[in-house]
Amino acid sequence: MASSTTAAEVRRPSRARRPSRAPRPLRVRRHLPTSPWLFAAPGLVITGVFILYPFVSTLVNAFTDRRTLIPGKFVGLANFRELLHDDMFWIGLRNSTLYVLGVVPALVLLPLLLALLVQKNIPGITFFRSAFYTPVVASIVVVGLIWVWLLDERGLVNSLLETIGVGRVGFLSDQWLLLLSAMAVTVWRGLGYYMIIYLAALANVPRELHEAAMVDGAGAVRRFFTVTVPAVRSTMVLVGALSSVSAFKVFSEVYLMAGPDGGPAGEDTTLVMLVQRTGTGLTGRVGYASAISVVVFVVTVVLMLLVLRADRKEEA
Amino acid sequence: MPIPRRALVAAAVALVLPLSACGSGDDGGGSTDASGKVEGDITFQTWNLRANFKPYFEGVIADFEKKYPGTHVKWIDQPAEGYADKISADAAGGTLPDVVNVSPDLVAPLAKAGLALDLDKAAAQYKKEYLDGAWASHQIPGMTGTYAFPWYLNTGPLFYNKSLFKEAGLDASKPPTTYDELFADALQLAKKSNGKVATLANVPTIEDFGRYGVELMNKEGTGFAFNDAKGVELLTKYKELYDAKALDPQALTATPESSGKKFLTEAVAMNPGSALDLGNFKKQAPNLYKNIGITDQITSTGKVNMYVMGVMVNSRTKRTPAAVAFAHYVTDAQNQMSFAKKVAIFPSTAGSLDDPYFSKEDGTDETRVRIAAAKSLKNAVNYTPVLFSEQMKTALRNEVAKALQGKESPKAALDNAVKACDRLLQQQG
Repeated sequence: MASSTTAAEVRRPSRARRPSRAPRPLRVRRHLPTSPWLFAAPGLVITGVFILYPFVSTLVNAFTDRRTLIPGKFVGLANFRELLHDDMFWIGLRNSTLYVLGVVPALVLLPLLLALLVQKNIPGITFFRSAFYTPVVASIVVVGLIWVWLLDERGLVNSLLETIGVGRVGFLSDQWLLLLSAMAVTVWRGLGYYMIIYLAALANVPRELHEAAMVDGAGAVRRFFTVTVPAVRSTMVLVGALSSVSAFKVFSEVYLMAGPDGGPAGEDTTLVMLVQRTGTGLTGRVGYASAISVVVFVVTVVLMLLVLRADRKEEA
Repeated sequence: MPIPRRALVAAAVALVLPLSACGSGDDGGGSTDASGKVEGDITFQTWNLRANFKPYFEGVIADFEKKYPGTHVKWIDQPAEGYADKISADAAGGTLPDVVNVSPDLVAPLAKAGLALDLDKAAAQYKKEYLDGAWASHQIPGMTGTYAFPWYLNTGPLFYNKSLFKEAGLDASKPPTTYDELFADALQLAKKSNGKVATLANVPTIEDFGRYGVELMNKEGTGFAFNDAKGVELLTKYKELYDAKALDPQALTATPESSGKKFLTEAVAMNPGSALDLGNFKKQAPNLYKNIGITDQITSTGKVNMYVMGVMVNSRTKRTPAAVAFAHYVTDAQNQMSFAKKVAIFPSTAGSLDDPYFSKEDGTDETRVRIAAAKSLKNAVNYTPVLFSEQMKTALRNEVAKALQGKESPKAALDNAVKACDRLLQQQG
């Protein structure tokens, strides 16, 4: 539609030409500065109440001796000094760190191999794709209980080991085997989730690259390292960052398999389990548990930065 | 785009308004005077009782509302799992119900925080209706007053698997009655089964130390004392059992539920329980039920352990007369007796245990267990100190586990446990 009206005129319509019953443009302009905030308000309020306030509250509590039913007073760095002398804190830090070291490499590599496997159009592969994803949607409590039954002294795994003459193994009574068993469950559970992420990344790898490498005589292993890995490297970094943060904050798997005390003598306690055990209940030490939470937060941020920095170095 | 000031103010108000509800709920509270007219709406919270006893509680509430026109009782039931966490969240948020089902260890921190009504002041006239020991069970060391009505008591025998005893060459008709006999039988069972059958599935708890005759706290109630020679002796015996696999290898991470399952699957030979368990055995493990043996709790003090449940009145209730009247009504002799006839629990009201229901045999195992338990309750003790918190239980379990694994000597483990529990006690204030 041709029009001789200029943009300036549209923005500033003259009183004489403005239709008397439709002052809409002016009204919209008047409300423009606040309107976005009104739209964002529900999200901001939810973020503020459920994320920002608990975060600030945890930070403040970390410097008090607050307990569940008794408001605390400011104690400065006393909680952090106590952490340094608390054996259970060091056990928690050790186990959470071991969890990252044990779980992350497996969760970066194995789902990629699995994704390569299920990417192929083999008859019946849809079933396996769904099967590999099932542990992700299953309840962690159900999954944990099933693994406890399997690994019990009289469970299926030990019965099989006994049948083949290995004898019973204390998967749920030895502190290291317990931690390894919990790691295995975390890896088994995470395979499907990260496999989906890799499948999306693999779909974007140009087929021509593989074909060119094949023409050059590269075998499957060579193509994996020279074509596939470089193509999905940024996804591997993402998986590494996501899995390292969740591995450091592990709770459910260890809690379900090692019990509320964190295994024999509490030797399998992770930092988040320690937060739960210290800060909850009627006599919970909210201040001290908050100090542990602050440490968990700082370590998590450092972990993320390390992974991202490693990625940047690789790129350079 | 610069953020308009009005938008900032609106966002701040929107953020702060909901948070103003997250305070401690310290609004001055209600009155300790329970002498006014019994009227108004109150809330009553029970601990995992709705599933099995819904009609009973609905009947009690209806009768109360009929007796006191103008009252209305809203009944809430919470699951067993995480009950303490639920109470602590309610207490911290100022939403604790008016009348709450508690155990002595739960009532202690609530009383210290000023959230439990002192019944010695508000309901002293009812004290004589209850057994002296039961009334005293909700008194807190270091504080004056009583902070909950005693409700039902429970104790139970020791169940054992006769067939496992026979297979080990033991006389199934003569179960152990002393600790020495128990340890000897356990070692024999483990030896004869090549370590496949353990006798016990749980590490010793504070209650076990008490039953063994260990002094748990000093006389002033200001510190723990279970690291004495007697305590070390018990832990040393358990270490021997653990090494011989007479104590289940998974005992270090066991819970009462998991050890109950081990007994059901005949992986362990003995397990403490109550008359309620007989029904479970019959239904879930008929083979075990055919071979079940029942014997008394083993104790060196002559007094068995009992568990006490109580009913607390929230000191912040706006309806003190109604709340006190209802808490007393639920726990009075008539209602406790009628509850005891529905489930294997025992009333804490004076004289109720003399009822023929607790003394007249009818030939069934259930009645035999009930009569024996009622008899033993007359001088039973709640060994678990009221101030023994969940964190203290964890500290003790962890040190006991270290001793059993041989990482520490029993003496060092108990010294460390006492030190940790004393520190937690001081932090409780």
